[in-house]
Amino acid sequence: MAILEVQNICKSFDNTEVLKGVSFELEQGKVLSIIGSSGSGKTTLLRCINFLETADAGRITVDGDVIYDSENPTRISQKARREKQLKIGLVFQQFNLFPQYNVLDNVMLAMKLQAKERPDFKKNKKAIYAEIEKKALSILKKMGLSEKTKNYPCELSGGQQQRVSIARAMALEPKILFFDEPTSALDPELTGEILKVIRELAEEHMTMVIVTHEMNFAKEVSDKIIFMDDGVIAEEGDAKSLIENPQTDRLKAFLSKISD
Amino acid sequence: MSKKIIALVLAVIVAAIGFVFVACNGNEGTETTTAAGESQTEAAKESDLEYVKSKGKLVVGITDFAPMDYKEKGSDEWIGFDADLAKAFAKELGVEVEFVEIVWDNRIIDLNGKNIDCVWNGMTLTEDVKAAMETSKAYCNNAQVVIIPADKADSIKTVEDCKDLAFAVEKGSAGMEMAEENKFNFTEVAAQSDALSEVASGTSDAAIIDSLMAAAMVGEGTGFSKLTTTDIKLNSEEYGVGFRKGSDLAAKLDEFFAKSLADGSMEKLAETYGVQAALIK
Amino acid sequence: MFDNFATQFPVVFDALNIGFLQTLKLFFVTLAGALPLGLIISFGSMSRFKPLSALVKTIVWIVRGSPLMIQIMIIYYFPGLILDNNIWGTGEQGRFIACSVAFIVNYACYFSEIYRGGIQGVPKGQQEAGQVLGMTKSEIFFRVTLLQMIKRIVPPMSNEIITLVKDTSLSRIIALQEIIWAGSAFLKSSRGISGEIWPLFFTAVYYLAFNGLLTVLFARLEKKLDYFKS
Repeated sequence: MAILEVQNICKSFDNTEVLKGVSFELEQGKVLSIIGSSGSGKTTLLRCINFLETADAGRITVDGDVIYDSENPTRISQKARREKQLKIGLVFQQFNLFPQYNVLDNVMLAMKLQAKERPDFKKNKKAIYAEIEKKALSILKKMGLSEKTKNYPCELSGGQQQRVSIARAMALEPKILFFDEPTSALDPELTGEILKVIRELAEEHMTMVIVTHEMNFAKEVSDKIIFMDDGVIAEEGDAKSLIENPQTDRLKAFLSKISD
Repeated sequence: MSKKIIALVLAVIVAAIGFVFVACNGNEGTETTTAAGESQTEAAKESDLEYVKSKGKLVVGITDFAPMDYKEKGSDEWIGFDADLAKAFAKELGVEVEFVEIVWDNRIIDLNGKNIDCVWNGMTLTEDVKAAMETSKAYCNNAQVVIIPADKADSIKTVEDCKDLAFAVEKGSAGMEMAEENKFNFTEVAAQSDALSEVASGTSDAAIIDSLMAAAMVGEGTGFSKLTTTDIKLNSEEYGVGFRKGSDLAAKLDEFFAKSLADGSMEKLAETYGVQAALIK
Repeated sequence: MFDNFATQFPVVFDALNIGFLQTLKLFFVTLAGALPLGLIISFGSMSRFKPLSALVKTIVWIVRGSPLMIQIMIIYYFPGLILDNNIWGTGEQGRFIACSVAFIVNYACYFSEIYRGGIQGVPKGQQEAGQVLGMTKSEIFFRVTLLQMIKRIVPPMSNEIITLVKDTSLSRIIALQEIIWAGSAFLKSSRGISGEIWPLFFTAVYYLAFNGLLTVLFARLEKKLDYFKS
């Protein structure tokens, strides 16, 4: 069964239709890349799935749980919304780290806030926080940031900041991790370290959806690629064959433009 | 939920502000046209004497004005000819007395807004004062005198000598009325003391202030030792106490004055503060 | 002018201290009221509920656009003169409360605009990051946005607060006996001293000292928040 089901998502801003009915599915442990020129709607699609925009129509299911359904728009409590939100994680193009917290605190903040809702929080506060810190440190270690845990974001390179933001998202153990152009804000020589981290996550069978411009990387790391154009999925399929053997004229034009 | 409360609170504030403007305009209109008529009957509906008695306190509006209302060095108690008289009057009424320093310009609105019950502070009884307040009978004489630097005392002796001088006078004071009447060149300042400062600093040539005040503040041994009081008396005038328009306290105070004069206590008090020569018997 | 300075100084010093205490009281009460009220007003002006934000913006415009001195007089005299119900009472206490209300409302409106700039200046991505990490709106405000906003508003806020120190002198329009009132009393005659202007000039020393202290404190706060860039 698919872990992510997206059905017929539509979204307009003012009178511009940005998404015109987008549907796709993703299996557990697979990696999906979404490519397309800017303005094709791929970032909006990601934002709709992550509750940063509300889709006008459509239905989104994660792991069998409907997290959004425009047909049945019941208002949900902040707590219920948080639970749905936490099934998925998002890594931003601009990192969006919290500048006033050091690396470790950036990773721990959301975990600590959630821990407050545990019934045994008051009694075991110290033990719970120790546990959270241990977990955060181990994730940071995995991201190669053990030396930087006490540094503030402004003291880090772009690549290091993006690795912190991946660690921050991973700490909440999302079922699916979304990336919104994770390397676009980085200098070319820094993209490699981010791609390496994503590759390692893929090897561990983390389910991921990546909006990206890095065609070679998409081809190498993804199981499946979706090409979006003008608010619809223009072509989709197996990563290797889609890049090497595009079927539609639109994808052919896009790929030739990229390789220039 | 909380937004609604905020909205409601803000709506009330806006309504209140709007109401202020409307009400202020409306009030101004009636006051100018019926200053003596309507407001008088309105206030008379309720006895001011009863009002003061019911709250048990007579609130006296004053300024720091020796020898009428002032504090001794190191003391927190208001004393002076006016202050002591007010204390005696309150005792007669069987109420406490509270002295409140006011901004002189605001004395009428302070009265009408019931922030104070009377203005008792060496107030000259002018036509304007009598129109705006219910006043007691005059109890003390005063005059408007010309103050000049001591070194010019020889050259300025008559009203004629004053024609070319630049005067400083308190805005709205009896001194200003005199300056207008005599067609002097003058500048309005905020207080009589400011007028003295003007002369002392040379920014004005002369000032017109109350003779009682001049006696206390000008000349040897005072802060304005380089100034002198001329013999030029522009008028003679009288001090009275002001109450809310239509108040029955004014008549009550007149009774009290009559009684205190009869038993000699008022004259004794005047001697204490050196104003016995000015007392109206 | 300075002939009797040595004998006058202790008397003047004592009077000015009492006045300055009143100045400080008004200052701190205003801060305590206007800092939180300003935040509420800024939320009102940023509300997506149009009638509310329009209403709040109108109030802010009226309060910021008209002289504080007039507002003090309206608040103090309106109940007694127009409504025939003097809610402030007669003594110094009532004047102080009326002044506090006027100052709190006035300064809350100024603060609200500074807050608004501070809140809107924090990148939207910060809020979004908090949201995808499952934080509630209030958690995002208090744990993420607030400190960044504070960092942004410290410089304009310190300006406004130093202005507040000096603006407290406006309260003498309804005879609140703050330090300038105390100093100018000697111009006329007070406590046996008359016709002296130096006590009034000397009040500036108090303002300078206190504002100097505030400037140092704000510089420290700014430095303390220097560890991160937003």
